[in-house]
This record gives sequence, C-alpha cells and structure tokens, in this order.
Amino acid sequence: MKNKISKILVLFSFMSFFTACDDELDELQPFVEVNPDTFLSENNVTAFQNAVDGAYGQLWQYYADSANGLQGLGDILSDNVIQAQSGRRSNNAYHDYLFVPSTAGFIANTWDEAYEAINASNIVIRNIDNLENGAGKDNILGQALGIRAWAHFDLARVYGQVPTQSAGANSTLGIFYSKFEDGDTDDLLAQPARETVGENYIEIIGDLERAAELIGASNGEGRLDRNGIYGLLSRVYLYNGEYQKAIDAADEVSTELATSEELPGVYTDSNNAGIVIELAVNTTTEANFFNVGVLYSQSSRGNIISEYVLDFDLTNSINADDIRLDVLQFDAVNGDNTYNGVKKFLGEEGQNNGRVDIKVLRAAEVLLNKAEAQFELGFEPDALATLNILRESRFVPAENRDDDPLNDVMETYTPGTETGAALEAAIQFERRVELACEGHRFFDIKRRGESIERDPDNGDLIDGTGTPPQIATIPAGNFRFQLPIPINEINANPVMAEQQNPGY
Amino acid sequence: MRTKFSGILTLFLAFIVQITFAQEKTISGTVTDNKGLPLPGVNIIVKNTSSGTQTDFDGNYTITANRGAVLSFSYVGFEEKEIIVADNTSINVQLNESEAVLDEVVVTAYGVGRKSSVTAAISTVATEDIEDFVPSTSIDNILQGQASGVQVTAANGRPGNTAFVQIRGVGSLTGSTTPLYVIDGVPVPIRENDQFNPLSNINPNDIESVSILKDAASASKYGSRGANGVVLITTKKGRSGEAKITFSSSYGFGERIPDPFDLLNAEQKLEIERQYADLGVSSAQSLPGATLNASQRASLIALDTDWEEELLRKSVIQNNALSIAGGTEDLTYFLSLGYNKDSGIIDRIDGFERISARLNTTYQAKKWLNISANFSASRSSTDLPRDRNNVQNPFRGLYDYNPYAPLFVRDGQGNIATDDLGNPIFNRGGGIFFPIAEALTTEPEDSRNLLFIGNLAADITFSEKFSNRFSVGVINNRFNGTTRSLPGGVLQGFVGDANFPGTQTNSFDLDLEYNVNNLFTYSDTYNDVHNLTASFLLEYNENIRQESFTTARGFPTSTIPFLDVAAEPTRVGSNEARRILFSQAIFADYDYDGKYSVSASVRRDGSSRFSPDDRYGTFYSGSVAWNIAKEAFMDGSIFNALKLRASYGTSGNQEIPDFEFLDAAEFTTYNGNTALRPERFGNPTIKWEGQSLLDIGLEFGFLNNRINGVVDYFKKTSDDLLLNRPLSTTIGDENNSLVSNVGEIENSGIEISLNADIIRTEDLKVSVGGNITFIKNEVKKLINDQDIIRGIFGNSILRVGEEVNAHYLVEYAGVNPDNGAPLYVDLEGNVTEEFSNSFLKLQKDKSPLPSYQGGFYGSIKYKGFGLRGDFVFRGGNYILNRQRASGVFIGNIDSNLREEVFNYWRQPGDTNVLPLPSNANEATADQFGTTRFLEKGDFIRLRTLTLDYTLPSKFLDVLPIDRLRVFATGQNILTFTDYEGDPEIGIGSAESGTPDGNTFDPNFVPGAFSQFSYPQVRSYIFGVEVAF
Repeated sequence: MKNKISKILVLFSFMSFFTACDDELDELQPFVEVNPDTFLSENNVTAFQNAVDGAYGQLWQYYADSANGLQGLGDILSDNVIQAQSGRRSNNAYHDYLFVPSTAGFIANTWDEAYEAINASNIVIRNIDNLENGAGKDNILGQALGIRAWAHFDLARVYGQVPTQSAGANSTLGIFYSKFEDGDTDDLLAQPARETVGENYIEIIGDLERAAELIGASNGEGRLDRNGIYGLLSRVYLYNGEYQKAIDAADEVSTELATSEELPGVYTDSNNAGIVIELAVNTTTEANFFNVGVLYSQSSRGNIISEYVLDFDLTNSINADDIRLDVLQFDAVNGDNTYNGVKKFLGEEGQNNGRVDIKVLRAAEVLLNKAEAQFELGFEPDALATLNILRESRFVPAENRDDDPLNDVMETYTPGTETGAALEAAIQFERRVELACEGHRFFDIKRRGESIERDPDNGDLIDGTGTPPQIATIPAGNFRFQLPIPINEINANPVMAEQQNPGY
Repeated sequence: MRTKFSGILTLFLAFIVQITFAQEKTISGTVTDNKGLPLPGVNIIVKNTSSGTQTDFDGNYTITANRGAVLSFSYVGFEEKEIIVADNTSINVQLNESEAVLDEVVVTAYGVGRKSSVTAAISTVATEDIEDFVPSTSIDNILQGQASGVQVTAANGRPGNTAFVQIRGVGSLTGSTTPLYVIDGVPVPIRENDQFNPLSNINPNDIESVSILKDAASASKYGSRGANGVVLITTKKGRSGEAKITFSSSYGFGERIPDPFDLLNAEQKLEIERQYADLGVSSAQSLPGATLNASQRASLIALDTDWEEELLRKSVIQNNALSIAGGTEDLTYFLSLGYNKDSGIIDRIDGFERISARLNTTYQAKKWLNISANFSASRSSTDLPRDRNNVQNPFRGLYDYNPYAPLFVRDGQGNIATDDLGNPIFNRGGGIFFPIAEALTTEPEDSRNLLFIGNLAADITFSEKFSNRFSVGVINNRFNGTTRSLPGGVLQGFVGDANFPGTQTNSFDLDLEYNVNNLFTYSDTYNDVHNLTASFLLEYNENIRQESFTTARGFPTSTIPFLDVAAEPTRVGSNEARRILFSQAIFADYDYDGKYSVSASVRRDGSSRFSPDDRYGTFYSGSVAWNIAKEAFMDGSIFNALKLRASYGTSGNQEIPDFEFLDAAEFTTYNGNTALRPERFGNPTIKWEGQSLLDIGLEFGFLNNRINGVVDYFKKTSDDLLLNRPLSTTIGDENNSLVSNVGEIENSGIEISLNADIIRTEDLKVSVGGNITFIKNEVKKLINDQDIIRGIFGNSILRVGEEVNAHYLVEYAGVNPDNGAPLYVDLEGNVTEEFSNSFLKLQKDKSPLPSYQGGFYGSIKYKGFGLRGDFVFRGGNYILNRQRASGVFIGNIDSNLREEVFNYWRQPGDTNVLPLPSNANEATADQFGTTRFLEKGDFIRLRTLTLDYTLPSKFLDVLPIDRLRVFATGQNILTFTDYEGDPEIGIGSAESGTPDGNTFDPNFVPGAFSQFSYPQVRSYIFGVEVAF
C-alpha cells in the first residue's frame, strides 16, 4: 500500500511539470524585433526619426554598395572610366554592356533596395497622424516624402527613359510608383504594372513639392532638409525639361559652393562644404558597412588594385590650374603599371579603405542644373554668368599650385566668354569634370539623348596605352540606356513580365 | 518552466538515496548454436522488465534476474528460447535455427518493439554496419547507402561537416529536408539557417544502433516534427558483468578526389591567351600570352605551378576511441572517450578536432523504479575557410590561378624573393588578385563547440499492467567563434583602417533545448492471445538560443588573439530566440497472437511558430500487419518470416523561422544613429504544413533466413507546403518573399532491400546485400497554379504537374557550324544566335532529385580475414555545372581554364566544339543559366572498402585480451560517373548568392549546382582494435 501511494505521488509530481505549458506557448513574443506600426503608434518624434533614418539607410544600401553602388555605376556605364585589366574585372558585364535581366549586381540591387526605402517611407507616412500637428510632424513627413520621391526617381532613371531623352519618352514605360495614400501598399500579393515615365515624374515632383513645404531647414548630416529637397527638385525639373522651375528651385538652395581650398577635404570627409545631400556612414561604429571606394579600387600594401580608372582624354582635358584635377586623379601604381586612379573615394584622411560618405548632391550640381536650364531657355548671358561662378571657385591661384610646364595654365582667373554651342559644350564639360565619378555621367548622356562614346584607341594605362574598352560606342536611342527589369521581378510578377524593356 | 526544470534534479536525488536491495541474483552462461559454436550478440531479456543484455564475442553473458523470472534468448535466424530462473546461477543455452526469424528488438517511436510485430516501416542500422565508416566524422554521413529510402549527400567535404538527408524524397520545400534526430529520446535541434548542427559533435563510436522511421505509423507519433522522417539514435549501454574495455585507434590520410578533366599547364595557358588575343578578345590583349616574347614566355613556362599542390595537402586523419562497459546487479555503465582529428586538405590551417566523453548508466533504484542517466560532453574545433564563390576560396583559387604565376615572388634571377624577416613574399601578380595561401594565415576564422547532452529517465512499474516513463533531456551547446583579420594581413590592406590595424570578432552562442516528457502505459494480455498496449504522452519542448558578439579593432600585434589588447571596440550585439512546442498524444497497439497487429496514434501539437489561431495541429496514424509466417498453413514452407503491413497517417512540418506570422522591423544604425529597418511582412494565416503518408510493405526471409528483405511501396503527399512565396520586389520586403502555405507535392516510390548469406560455414561467410529506392515526385498544386521560380540563381522552378525544383534554363543548341556563334532556342522553338532571359524554360524531367538511389555491399569472411566493400549510387538527377562554366567562359581568359577550351570552333562545319572566342560571342556564350552546363548526376561510388583481420582466439588465449582486429579502410576510392566534376554535390557553394554571404538562403536547392565548395575527399585509414 505504501508503495502504491508513493508510486502515485511520483506520477503526480511528474505531471505537475506540464501544467501551464499552454500559457508558456501563448506568451512568447519576439525578442529583438518590433512591429513597426506598434513602434510608431505614439506621439514620439524620435521614434519616427528612427524610422526615417532606417529609410535613409536603405538608400545608402544601393548608393554605397561596394560591389554595385549607384555612386559608381553611373560612371562605369559611361565614358568617364575604363576597366583596369589588373583588377578583378568586377562589373565587367555593365562596363561592356553585356547585362541581361539575370545579371547579378546593380540591376537587382538597385531595384530591391530602392523599393525597400520606399516601403520604409510608406510605413512612416502610414503612421504619421500618430504625431501631433506641428513642425516636428511636418519635418518627419517632409523627409519621408522626400525619400520616397528620391528612390522612385532613381528607379525611373535607371529602368525607364528620362522625359528629355527622346520625343516620346513620357509615354514609354517607367516604373511602379508605390504610394500608401493611393492604396498601393494594401495588398502584399499585388502584382503591379509599370506606369508611364510621364506619370512617374508627376508623382515624383508631387511628393517633392509637398516635402518642400513641410521639411525643416536643417536636420543634420546625412539627412534631407529644405536645401536637399530643392536641390533634388532642381535636378528632377531639369530631367523633366521644366527649365524655369529648375532655375527657381536652384535659387532656393542656400548651400554655399565649396571653395577650391575646401574641395579636397570634401572627399576625405574633413569638411562638408558645398554638400546639399549626402548619405553618411560612421566609420567607427559602422566599420563593417560598405566601402564604396571598392567600386574603383582597392589598395593593399602600397599597390593600388584598380577596377576602373579615369579615361585618358577626360584626365587630360582638365587644366593643371583646375583644383578638380587633383581632387579627381592620382597616379595609381600596381606593380609595373600606373593608371589614372580615381581619387574621390580612397577613404577618410590617411585611409585607403574606400569608406566615405556618399556625395549625392552638391551645390556645384545645383549651379550646373541652373546654368543648363538657363541655356535651354535661351538666357545665354545668365547661363554664362552662372557657369563662371563655378569656374572661378575651381581656379587655383598661381602661388598655390605646382606649375606644370606641359599645361597652358592661366596666371589669374579669366572669366569664360562662350556663346551658343560652345557655351552648351562648356556647361557639359564643367558638369562632367565637376561631377566625375559621382554617379552622374551615364544619366547626363542619357537624359540629353546623346551617345556614349569612348575613345576606342585609349588604353587603361596612365599614358593612354594598354587595353582599350571592349565596347566603344552605345549610340543614342540604344536599348542599353534602359536597364532591364531584374529577373526576380519578372519571375514573381507576371504582369511586369509582359512589360520588360525592349532588347532584353 | 525553468524553475520546474531545476526541481526535477532535486527529485532525482531524492530517489537515489532510497536504495533498496532487490531479491536478485546474477546468472551467467554461454549461448551456442546447434553445432555448439558460440553465438555472439544474442539478445537476452528478463521478460516484463526493461533489463537485458547481449552475449559477447565468445557467446558468454551475465545478467541479473529474480528467481522465477523468465529469461528470453533471441538471435536472428534462431528460435527464441525462454528459460525460468531457478536455483542455478549458470544457464547455458543452445539455440536452434529458426523459422520465426527477424525477431530482433528494434527501437521504435517512444519505445522498443519486436521486429516481428512492429507495424511500421523501420530501417535499422546496427553498429557493425557502421564501424567501417567511423572515420566519417558525422553520423548523418555514415547513413549513406545503408538504408532504403534514405538519401544522404555530404554537404561538402569539409571535415566535421554534416550531410543533407532526405527520407523518401522531398517532403518539404523550406530550407530543410532534415529528419528529426532523437538521441536516446532527446530531440536534437538542427537549424540550418544558423548553420547549427550538433550531429558533427557526436562520437559515432558511441552508437549502438540507428533506427530510421520512415512511414506514418511511427513518424506520426512525432507529430509536427515527423514529416521529414525520424532518425532514432541509441547509444551503447553497459551489461552486467565484468568490465569490457575496448580500445581502437586508426590513422590515415586523405586527398582531394582527382577531377575527371585537366586544367591547362603554363605553356597551354599562354598559348590559349595568344590565340584569344589573335581572335580579338579584348580581355586577352594585355595578358602575358599575348604580350611576352619567346624568352619571357619560356621563363613563365618554367614556373608551371601546380596550384593544387601549393594550396592543398594530404590530410591527416586520426581516431582514438576507448570504452569501458560493465555493470553489477543494479547498475550498468558505459563509459567512452573519443578523439578525432582530420586536418582537412587545405594547407596552412588546422582542420577539425573533436574530443568527446560519455557516461551511460542505468540503476534499479527500487524494484518498481529504474532510473537511467546518459551524459555526454564533447568539444570540437574547426577552421572555417571561406566557402564562397569568390577570390577568398582556395578551392576556387586552384582552378583560377594561372599556372605561370608562382606562389612566391621571384627576383630577377628566378629565386624566391624574401622580405626583411627572410620570409618568402607571396606573389600577387599573374592574375592573382587575392593571395589565398597568405590569406589563410592572416584571416583565420575558427569555431569551437562545446556540446552537452544529458538524458534522465525514470521508469516506474506500477503493476504488471501499468507503467510510466518520465524523462528529461537537455542539449546544451556553447559556440565560440573567432574571426580575425590580422594587422598587416591581406584583407587589412584592402578594408582595414590605417589608424586601427587589425580586427577581431568574438561571437558566443548558447543553445539550450530541453524536452520533458511523460509516457503512461497500460499493457495487458487477454486469453493469452489478445495483446493490448496503450500509452498517453505529454511532451514539452523548448529551444532557447542566445547570441552575442563583439568586434574590436586596432591590434598592436598579430600574436595576441584577445580583445583586451585592441584599441577600441567597434560593434557589439546580443539577441535571443525561443521556440516552444507542447504536445499530447495517445498511442495504442493491439495484436492477436502475434499474427494480426493493429496500431493507432493521435497527437496534438501546439507550436509558437504559428499565430495563436493556427497554433495547434492534430496528427494521427493507423497501421496493420499480418504476420503470415505464423499462420498454421505456412508450417513447413521455405519462409522463415513473411509479414505484410500497411500504414497511413499524417504528420506536420513547422520548420520555418520564428514569428513569421508577425510584421517585424529590426534596429540597425544609419550614420551612427538608431535606425528602424522593416524586416518582413508577417503572414498571419500560415498554418502547419501537413503530410499524409501511405505505406504498404512486405518483409520476408527464407532458406533459414539466409535470404531476407523488405519491399515497400509508399506515397507521400505534402500539402499546405510552407515556402517563401516570391513577392513582387515593388512591395519592398527585405527578402521579397512571404512565408506561405503554397501548394502540394507528392512523392511515391518503391524501396527494396535484400540481404543474402550466400555461403555460411564455420570458416567462410559470404554475404551480399543492397537496397534501392525508385522515387517519383510531382508538384500537384500551387496557389492559382502560378509557377514559383526559385533557387539562388533563379534556375529552379515549381510548376504543377512537373518534378519538384525542375531546372529552369535557356536551351543551348550548340555552336553555329557556319560562324562559331553559340545558339539558343527561343520559346517558339526557333534557333537563334541571341541569348535572352526570356528564353528560360522548364527542363522536362530534369531536376536535382534522383529517380533512383541506393547502396550495396559485398562481404567475405574467411577465418579471421574479412573484406567488405560498400557502394552507393544514384541516378536520374541533373546538376548545373557552374564550375565547368567558369572553366570555359571566354571572359575568364585572365584565369586558368580547362583543357577543353582548345576545342573551339575554327572553321565552317565544325560541330561539337566550344563557341569561337570573340567579344561578340562572349556576350552570349558566357551564360550560366543554360542547358549547356546541365549534366547528368548519375554515379556509383565505392564508399568504403575494408580489409580486416581478427586474430583467432587460440592465439589470444595466451594474451590477456579477448579480441584483436586490424583493419585498413579506403573511402571514396572509386567513382564511376560521366559528370564533369565530382557528382556528389550538396551545397555547391555555401555562401553563394546571399547578400551577406553568411546566412542560409531559403531559396537554396541542394544539389542543383556545383560551385567550388569544399570537395569530397578520398581517404585511406589503418587501424587496430583491442578488447580485453
């Protein structure tokens, strides 16, 4: 009997381990994740700024990616740089225009990360009314709208035509513009269609114009502010052929041009002179994040292993009295070979790890946008005056430079006097030089409906010898100007599968 | 729950002090066959208790039993004998060869059963089947070819790496087809997503048997975790009697299995460069073959580096194992120690090392209470070379590096150049962008795992009819990882901070899974013929994982691998994850006189992986068996065993990440500020993946059981399949997918296994056996019948009516004989020189899944000599040979290539050639996703060949040892295949295609492609085994 009781007691004590197991199951919650809507459910501007910063982070993902960042691809796809034969042949499919929808890298990455930035900004916009009305709320909404427009603009110019690119560009297929307000984000399983380029630019401009009225004057490094939005507007209006608006928007930007003394420090992140928009990285705590400079070169024990180097003609078109030659070019030595290395992304002062902030939009571009718009409207003297402001600030006085006897350098700055076609060429020349290797060139050629023309005789080495580009010319109107919709989208979205760009 | 768990320990201590003395005695004796020869391995069980033993090599046994207890002696091929314990302490038994064979004890779901009455399809792999494989360091690798219906593919050849195991085809499409492993009742947590797999840390020498539960009759008992099948691993136990000490030691070496093709040598490489340059391939213009003069070329040709020799080496494999087993009346113990080392074939790193210890004990605490405790601890350390398709992978380097590039820099005289310290300088020229040989020493990455597995069980016998088993199992793994980038090292030059040279990341992961279960059992026999057993199970299982890491930079010296000396920390992190499963189940088994058996089970599981509304799933099974051999009309037939059985049941799968039913965002930083990043969209409607499995099987044995086998037909339908359903990228999801229940697939097939003892005499025994499985699979349903295109490269597809994961490629039509341009077939069937992704199409009946697979062996034993060969084979699968593509692409002329590149189009009319190398053809020829690189994966491989010699006992009599065996084993020594590479492909390339290179991609399809993963190894091992 005693045995029997103890046996039963033991059994019951075992069974007691199983009480309340159901509760354990139901109480389990995620540990390091939050529901974004819950996180943004209170009147807490800081939380919303965290969410906006997350969206900037997504933009940074596709600008700074060390394998396929937009910051570099805009030039690798153009005539500014040429592949160095002693590198890893990274982005070869892009430089040689061999890309197809399944080509890894830029095609997929830009599409992915831009839409993630858009999703992040839509989440902010969806919850915005949890904030009290006022400047704080307006500033958050302004940033979110700005990011949304910016990411869509990048998508539109990569995968679709630019309105000024050809006569019928506005009626060709652009991208899908995803707006929470229009119910675009309601259905996760949606298989959206591409809209036209014209429709895209209406929405991009709509978001930016709204943002301009809401956003604060200063939000700190790496974030959009009033100058940033107007800077973007000056660019978008120019792309859209709305030249007077481009001039007006440019005039709203108060950021001062970097001086010739400041300019070198801009690229080592020693100063932020002339920066209107940048995507920033903290090189201490984010030392594992992308190093954008790898797109152009890596350096190891004194050897610079270049991937892409400056085109011989571009390098030689810059006068020695122009500070930008020194900002842009350095002699990149790898073993027995020397190249015109790209200097803008070597790293912070004293570094060669390629980890620097992304210069998305600078005051110089705003000025160039304005000069080009003035020229397009026929205001030639105005355009020349605007251009001369930039040229003067890039001139290095005689006492500050090492005289190069090979170059016919000016002793003092003399304003340019071009007119007509020469002025137009001068504006484009200054634009090419000023913005070289900052992701513009491919889009500038594209939006102007021009051809990509690499000199078929220029090799990769510093003296123009070496291996010339495999593909020298992409004529205006060629399908390669519109990158293909990535294969993953084609596979997942039968609607867009019917809308692939021609040629792919 | 945690406090409850600690309470159990106290409870056990309380039991242990209540020592009582049972009325037991020790009985010993010898078991012989009808010719008087000793029978080793005879099972001896004290009926109606859980105690039992086996005879040793000489047929001797010792067991404790009460006076009046019934001892049952059983052995395959012999009649069972029962003897009542009387006054004698010595019982010698002679067994007669029997007709009622196959009556082994098999480990079954939540218990043991007799093979003759089990209604389930179970394959058992016993210790003697696997001892030749022991040098394989992971249990799952050992199972290859051993059991029908079980497909095992080594993930890759890295020492200590695990395998992909599929039981009866692909039951599930989520990353994992891995079955549930249960070690002595403790489920083993395996998470491929985190590359966490404790199987590699278990000493295979400790294993007594492995039972593979394949059909619903037993898998359903594991409910939600049984859909991929269940592998029950039982470790060895001691037997009462004098201690048996067994020691074994082996030593050997391994090398990469040679490729069935040649790479170019220096002279050939320079020549092909010259030819490409002449043909106008621009990327060849600046290569040495095009630019150097004859004498410069001659000096390069003289270098002719064999990169395999420079980067790889012969691995050294060492295994030592010691076990001590024995027991007294109340207590049995099995103690083991193991040491394994495999240096791996990559030169300059340490490879894999494991040391393990185990103690298994049972104790008869009271007459009605038996407690047992199994504990094991093991520590393994392994180097982790980069296994991705890039310049950091040595297995890519040996194919890529040009043979005219030397390992070390040469000075003007051709001597090896040295640095200030006199060390040779690694070469970075000649197409070597990243010196892997150097990086292996300056970028070390290694991990240490400390694994504890403990299992405590208490068996209570209430009465003859009621019993209860309560058990607690714990698996605890501590992972320490160190990733260093030494100051002054290769990577630091590229990405380091000049002011803070060197980085190091220490990561620490703690995994704890505990499992508490209670099984209450009623068993009864009516009228001597109706046998009924019914059990009620409660089970609670929780998995807790904690992770943390710290990264610092700025190391003053490369010799101190600790963060203390670092200048500053740069990143830290920690997180936790949990998963809970709570289950209730009822099992019932009935048989009539051992002839007709019926079993049924119902189990209800609740999982935290699903939303509260869809949390519970109910799984059931029913099975019947007819033991025909026991029927009177079978008397005198040639059959010793003949059993027909059938089962049907359901099980489930929850192998998806946690909390997929919730929207989630995570925190990261942007420019040093906190940033909220949306992580995923939740799918609140996801529910259990279900599976129903029908099995009909016939087990037979005849001619004194010298020929025996099993035939099974099965049909497995998996519905509500959990899979990452692709989303339009425009939605902005981080993975562009939503975990969903997407459809239904069906696997059906026939498994046959057959063993025959062709000759069975005293001196000579010849036996052969094998198994083969024919399997078909088909996608039956998908949401809206819409195709799902998957795979890391988008080259696999799910389409209704087709094979699962069929290859999705552009069809290649060879080379245009007129101009040497590659040709493709568009969707209308036109042959064109264009290549477009829009030509992608499903390749009918070509998938990575084999249509047949199996293994066979032959064994000869003559006196003390033994020779056994085990083959594995597979066929009907197709592999995309991306590795070959890399070796022939025109644009890869700057790397080394395969010899076949000389076979390009040279003049009109050439066929069966590679495309003419030109810039224009590079655009169309250099495409991975085409049928040009799709190859049959059929192969037969001699997995092991073992020659051994066991010293006859007459020689041993003079020595104080019972057994001495010497052996030599070769693994992977022969392979027959047409595949242009190694056809045994698991992961292809572990890190390919994922953004951060470290996480397991849910889209990954094992075996779909090859891409420079750690290759399989051929090894030769010599060893000795002593028992005393």
